[in-house]
Amino acid sequence: MSEDLNQRIAEAQAKLDAQKQPSAIDSAKGMGVGFKMASDFIAAVIVGAGLGWGLDELFGWSPWGLIVCLLLGFITGVKNIVAAATEAARQTAENGSTGLRNMAPKSGQDKGDGA
Amino acid sequence: MMVSTDPMHQFQISRLLPIEAGGYDLSFTNSALFIAIAVFGIIGFLAFATSNLQTIPGRAQSLAEIWYKFVAGIVHDVNHDDGKPFIPLVFTLFSFILIANLLGMFPYFFTATSHVAVTFTMALFTIGLVVVIGVWKNGFKFLKIFTPSGVPLYILWFVVIIEIFSFLSRPLSLGMRLFANMLAGHVALKIFAGFIPTLAIGLPVIGVFMGGLLVLPLVVGITALEFLVAFLQAYVFAILTCVYLNDALHPGH
Repeated sequence: MSEDLNQRIAEAQAKLDAQKQPSAIDSAKGMGVGFKMASDFIAAVIVGAGLGWGLDELFGWSPWGLIVCLLLGFITGVKNIVAAATEAARQTAENGSTGLRNMAPKSGQDKGDGA
Repeated sequence: MMVSTDPMHQFQISRLLPIEAGGYDLSFTNSALFIAIAVFGIIGFLAFATSNLQTIPGRAQSLAEIWYKFVAGIVHDVNHDDGKPFIPLVFTLFSFILIANLLGMFPYFFTATSHVAVTFTMALFTIGLVVVIGVWKNGFKFLKIFTPSGVPLYILWFVVIIEIFSFLSRPLSLGMRLFANMLAGHVALKIFAGFIPTLAIGLPVIGVFMGGLLVLPLVVGITALEFLVAFLQAYVFAILTCVYLNDALHPGH
């Protein structure tokens, strides 16, 4: 009798789990991932431009400092996005939710495959 | 009649109590007022909630416990047991950003987190702390965060440059995301809300219905979205603080 009940509970639970919609928190996390990618990219480009301009001012390398550093900043921005996307995809595969937790590179692993 | 719909007006800083000391303008501004309200509001609420601790918590104590456990959970998820000393820091950052963001959602209130000066102070403090803790705990090994493992030597110099750029972009990214989100959200809200009176005045009868039936639901929707963003940005700031601290504690995993 009780086994039958347990089985029915398990079946009902499985049915509920299967039709579970992504919660508001999950979609909010997805939004967070998006914001993070956008701002990481822009920030890297701005850092490149600022650093290049600073080097030009300091050492009189104009315009090469700006050109080189801006390109490096752009590369860094793309790398930041790829790293964030890789991590988000890994988390999604792992636990089914859009990953924001632990999102940024845990230094070693994903910087390794990013390079 | 002209409706005041200047979306940037709400971000203007005004002196409430002019103070000048040593040639510096140290006036108490509307920004400072709302920062103070946020800080003393948090301290006051938590002091009240924990003043009469019980095994079976009341409403205020429950809320304080959920709040604290949420932040402690974030820190534990990212940093595990090493993160314990940083729970107060992350809790402070999260609470301040959350309450300052939510205060900004009240009409006519000032959004302190919509100013670069406030967000960058927090971002620079966070990254500064990461550097200090990283060097203090690891010494020169902290520099390992710039040299990912498993990269062949001939390309390592280039990867190191990219990593340095990436590290420098962190405080900018951290501060910019919060400020830009709050600024953009409030500007969008103001502009869309401004459509309603503009339509009503511009098109006497149809405009009132268009504003009321088409634009108002949109404004309500954006307001709801802004509450989500207010929470989300505090959450993202807290998570990234933890992630960066993790780099400081374990450079070059």
